[in-house]
Amino acid sequence: MRRLIFLLAATLLVPARPQTPPPIVLSPIIPGDVNVTATTVSIDTFQPDFDVYSWNTFIALNWPPAANGNGDPNQTIGQNGDNDTVWEHYRDVSDIFLPGGARPTWNAPMPIPNACKVLNKGNLEVVTQIGKNLLTPAVVSAMSQPFNTGPIIDQNGVYTRFQILVNKTMFDYILANSLYSKAGQKAFTPPVNFTSGSIDNNGKTLVEGAIMVKSAWKVIAAADKARFHSQDVLVYSPASKNPKYPAKCMMKTVGLVGLHVGHKTQSAPQWLWSTFEHVDNVPTDADVKSGKLNAQYNYYNPGCKTCKVNQIPPRPWNPTKVSAFHSQIVRMNQFNLPIYAASAAARNSDAQKLLLGVNPKSVWANYELISTMWPTDPKQPFGAPAPTFLANTTLETYIQGTVPNVSSNCIECHNNATMTVPVPSDFTYVLQRAQ
Amino acid sequence: MTRTVPPAIPILDSDIQDFADMSAALTGFQSSVLKPALDPVGLAREYYVFAVQQVGESAMATLVNAYRAIKTQPAQQIADTLLETSGASPSSQAQLAQSIVAMWYLGSWYVPGVLGGGGFAPPPLQVISSAAYTNGLAWRVMQSHPMGYSQFTFGYWSQAPGPLSSFGVNTGNGGGGQ
Amino acid sequence: MSKNVPQYDVVIVGAGVSGNLIAKELGLAGKKVLILEAGLEVPDSREEYMENFYLALAKTPEAPYPALAGRQGSQVNPVGVLPDPSTLPTPRATVLSLGQSPKTSYLVQQQPFAALHPQDPKPQNPPADDKGNVRGLQFSSTFERNGGGTSWHWLGTSLRELENDIRMQTKYQHAVDWPITYTELQELWALAEAEIGVAASTAQQEPLEVVGLQYPPGYQYPMQAIPMSMVDQAVSNGVAGLQVPGTLPDTPGGGDPTLYDVFVTPTPAGRNSEPYDDRRVCAGNTNCIPICPIQAKWDPTVTLGKALDTGNVTMSYQSVAYNVAVDGQGDTQNATRIDYYEWSRDASGAISKVSKSVTGKVYVLACHAIENAKLLLLSNNWKGIANISNQVGRNLMDHPLYLTWALAPQPIFGYRGPLATSGIESLRDGEFRKYRASFRMEIGNEGWNFSKGDPYTTTMDFIQGTNNSNVNPPPGGSGQPVRLGGLKLVQQLNNIFTRQFRIACMFDQTPLAENLVKLDLDEKTGKPNNVDGLGLPRPKVEYGLDPYTMEGFRMAAYVCTKVYEQMGATEFTTNGVGGTGDFTYQGKNYHYYGAGHVVGTHVMGPEQKSSVVDASQRSHDVQNLWIVGSGSFPTVCTANPTLTLLGLAFKSAKSILASLGS
Repeated sequence: MRRLIFLLAATLLVPARPQTPPPIVLSPIIPGDVNVTATTVSIDTFQPDFDVYSWNTFIALNWPPAANGNGDPNQTIGQNGDNDTVWEHYRDVSDIFLPGGARPTWNAPMPIPNACKVLNKGNLEVVTQIGKNLLTPAVVSAMSQPFNTGPIIDQNGVYTRFQILVNKTMFDYILANSLYSKAGQKAFTPPVNFTSGSIDNNGKTLVEGAIMVKSAWKVIAAADKARFHSQDVLVYSPASKNPKYPAKCMMKTVGLVGLHVGHKTQSAPQWLWSTFEHVDNVPTDADVKSGKLNAQYNYYNPGCKTCKVNQIPPRPWNPTKVSAFHSQIVRMNQFNLPIYAASAAARNSDAQKLLLGVNPKSVWANYELISTMWPTDPKQPFGAPAPTFLANTTLETYIQGTVPNVSSNCIECHNNATMTVPVPSDFTYVLQRAQ
Repeated sequence: MTRTVPPAIPILDSDIQDFADMSAALTGFQSSVLKPALDPVGLAREYYVFAVQQVGESAMATLVNAYRAIKTQPAQQIADTLLETSGASPSSQAQLAQSIVAMWYLGSWYVPGVLGGGGFAPPPLQVISSAAYTNGLAWRVMQSHPMGYSQFTFGYWSQAPGPLSSFGVNTGNGGGGQ
Repeated sequence: MSKNVPQYDVVIVGAGVSGNLIAKELGLAGKKVLILEAGLEVPDSREEYMENFYLALAKTPEAPYPALAGRQGSQVNPVGVLPDPSTLPTPRATVLSLGQSPKTSYLVQQQPFAALHPQDPKPQNPPADDKGNVRGLQFSSTFERNGGGTSWHWLGTSLRELENDIRMQTKYQHAVDWPITYTELQELWALAEAEIGVAASTAQQEPLEVVGLQYPPGYQYPMQAIPMSMVDQAVSNGVAGLQVPGTLPDTPGGGDPTLYDVFVTPTPAGRNSEPYDDRRVCAGNTNCIPICPIQAKWDPTVTLGKALDTGNVTMSYQSVAYNVAVDGQGDTQNATRIDYYEWSRDASGAISKVSKSVTGKVYVLACHAIENAKLLLLSNNWKGIANISNQVGRNLMDHPLYLTWALAPQPIFGYRGPLATSGIESLRDGEFRKYRASFRMEIGNEGWNFSKGDPYTTTMDFIQGTNNSNVNPPPGGSGQPVRLGGLKLVQQLNNIFTRQFRIACMFDQTPLAENLVKLDLDEKTGKPNNVDGLGLPRPKVEYGLDPYTMEGFRMAAYVCTKVYEQMGATEFTTNGVGGTGDFTYQGKNYHYYGAGHVVGTHVMGPEQKSSVVDASQRSHDVQNLWIVGSGSFPTVCTANPTLTLLGLAFKSAKSILASLGS
């Protein structure tokens, strides 16, 4: 395995030891894999290497893109405060798994829903999900969350929106194997095996593996733009039968509040899972208990003494209306070892310094890594992940516990993912959306 | 799950390692499975702490020292010696070793020397934790998974499972460790 | 509130299978519905329930759900301290309380000999009466009282009944016919199968045409079938060519000497074989009972979510109905109001309750066969309502379950996959039903977990040198139980566990008026002998088996033995004496478990004088009262009841809508 070979090599060679952990760098090159420079084998020494990988990934994915879609070497992330990003030019899954199983293309313009056509001015994005269930007219909901948890609603009664995109590598595999349609999936000979990313012995990217990104967006006021990465988008709610409401489309400014990045790599057949949140999202459980609260959060009202915490909004969920219920969300501690929080905090500090060094107004310094989940023993089906539980408060809001097989664990849950036929889909739920 | 209070005497990493190596010999599993270098769950420590709380530092130290004295022997020999498998009735030290085996196998603490009856196992004192349950070795011994915690995917049950060695059993001929 | 305008169109008691489905159908049709649920709210995730399961000392069906046994065991309380039902606001029957006194058991019923005479070295089973009936047995099925109800822990088995199941009187001159046609049931089953998401293939079910399983031409199940397990395959291969007679040779009246083929078919199941309805595909957690960690198996909270999505359904949790007020006499009775306690508990566990009332145009009792009967009997100052037939609470039935277990000659790898994926359904119908109870045979995938509490029992046997499992010592040794460690322990346990399997036989028990649930009241004073935490009288159960049913056991024991013989397996079935579920028939001891299939307490039928509800589950007596659930089954038939009771709920919903004029 890569990291053992590297350690062996490290002990044999005399030249200067690589930095442990390796540095977070301002680079548009997406890391092909984790670069483990730790010289002893333990979670305490390895976790920082993975968290560095996550930040380098975050920086590269959020780098302003060149015309070819890769990060533009002539620009730097955040140099003007905010910027368009590489990952926002990845393909949205709703434009891959098309009605009738039609063949998608990487670059075709996104179809604009009817309800949005009157509003659409130019190439606006469409951001649709209201919760973990994507309710598009023709497709049975795709995201298999356990027990249909629920949406997360901000302090203005507005539903948070989600978007799932995949990079060209992942898209190409889907296309080449006709996995974009039910018929194609039926005809496919297993196993599904997305391309694995890799690095050389110096940590330089050789191959960018399959990457999937899940983003969470909150409607923000123009005045708040300085604190968020934001876009002007078409916020679309497809018509729903039950609960019953018509399609609705609005043009809104939305700010990024949560970002998941899953990357299949050579060292991680169970993929590497990085998750980031906006720094203003929520207090931690410890903050609440000690009374150490900020004036304001994206998903928590410090002034409400009676609001029940981490409670799913009551049904019916109607994203076309302003909700009386506001989510009161707290980050629960899921970590059983101190290193996870400590490493994330240290990397966050380093990364934020780096980003602010580019521009003190960089919106990107308002994001923090929660942690990186990685398989400590890839030979097992679950890979014995570290940490044992990990949740993003905007994306796995209601399963922030520490109960095996139920509380949020990226790998445990994604291990159950299949195509529309019950064939394992290599840790992604996107293939279930095929029609 | 309420965590039990840690013992007053500080625990050395070497104690945990020896406990894990001893447990490997007793259980027939590889030490690197019970206490991997990369250890997200930390069961060996959790079990060591729990057992010490139940039986006291002294009884545990005596057992682990008995292991240390014979640790270079083949694993099966260590197991048979510490568990007194050929003796008529096991000493209290051997009964402690039995409870340690039961703890690894079943994720629960069984009071040393308390036997089952009436067609069923003795009542456990408690399930040690959710992680203890989901990492029970008995389920690996049957080439499966704990009921309620499957790492496998749809349809696996219509095919034979992988061999016992793929479940972390020490089918090799090495000593007490890996 | 206006005195004359009901607050809701429909008030439903119970947020379980039937209640949630009816609420959904009514909500979709724009009706305003209130669900009164006695127990706690559906939790936001199943973290709490799953943790309860992991930490439970005894992993019984009720283990994940609230009002728990303690988590510390001891010699005195091996499964933890069990709560006293008189201190609980919503006590219910639990497996751990079976056979216990009312201090532990919510259902008040005869305790077995061993519980009453624990020091007696010669325990006995109850005697048969002069007709051969055995009375004073324990009703062994249990249920939940919480949002989602008992079917949180159904196995998922979604078999259809057979044609003759619903016409036992006409065909076999035994018991009664159902007041519904097979054709109509086929329509209802299709609705239920879509609601649940049942995985099966009609092609695989075709061999069962011999027992009268018919599908409408071209019928397709919602999802492809669940693959058979290794255990299924071993049994299926092992029974090839096996035939058994309908009855054993010494059956009075000649019996049914016809030979019936024994073969295995996959079981239609309410678990996902494809992503369906926002839920994941089954990962074979082997934990359907008591709880599926990933909700690949449907449970009623799925349907409840859809009911709430309509925006027309309101929940009132912790609301225990205790009286259905009825006006009028004779044929023009009308339910006018439901009285209920809204309860809460403070940190110390002290219960407080407030009595409230609610009105609807229509009332639906959907709180389980036993609680439905109890509520009917509690109403009208404990004089009872809707009971002109005098059948409320009577005809209490289960599928008594006879468990056999064995070691296969070679590893067959149990403990894998859903708890059951196949069965022997080929013996469910035939002429023999004139003489003895029919049964289906469920092949278990969980080794000896149910049979012997494994892997705990056998593991401790080989660690401690005991023989509670009956497999220690292994054959060929000294004859004394051995103690093992290290790889030897691994290999011995592997040898045993990988060969363990079991078959459960479930009987079409006779409906008997004397098998009943009633209020536990003192005969003379009319005061309750035992109450729950809200002061409500507890249910008393009287139960027994008739020779028809017990002859079924005798046949089942014979068939299982033959199956094991044919497979080259070694049978290990043992039956105790004097314990819960023990009885003697023709000199042989048997043990039954409850299958959790509680039926019959408010039977449906065509006539008011002999049944409680009609085929729509509408009360014959009270024209705006529906009493729904498996309590309406006039016979228990041979299939697990959930699919059928869900189908009937669709029919009830339709009739309720018709009565509301829409």
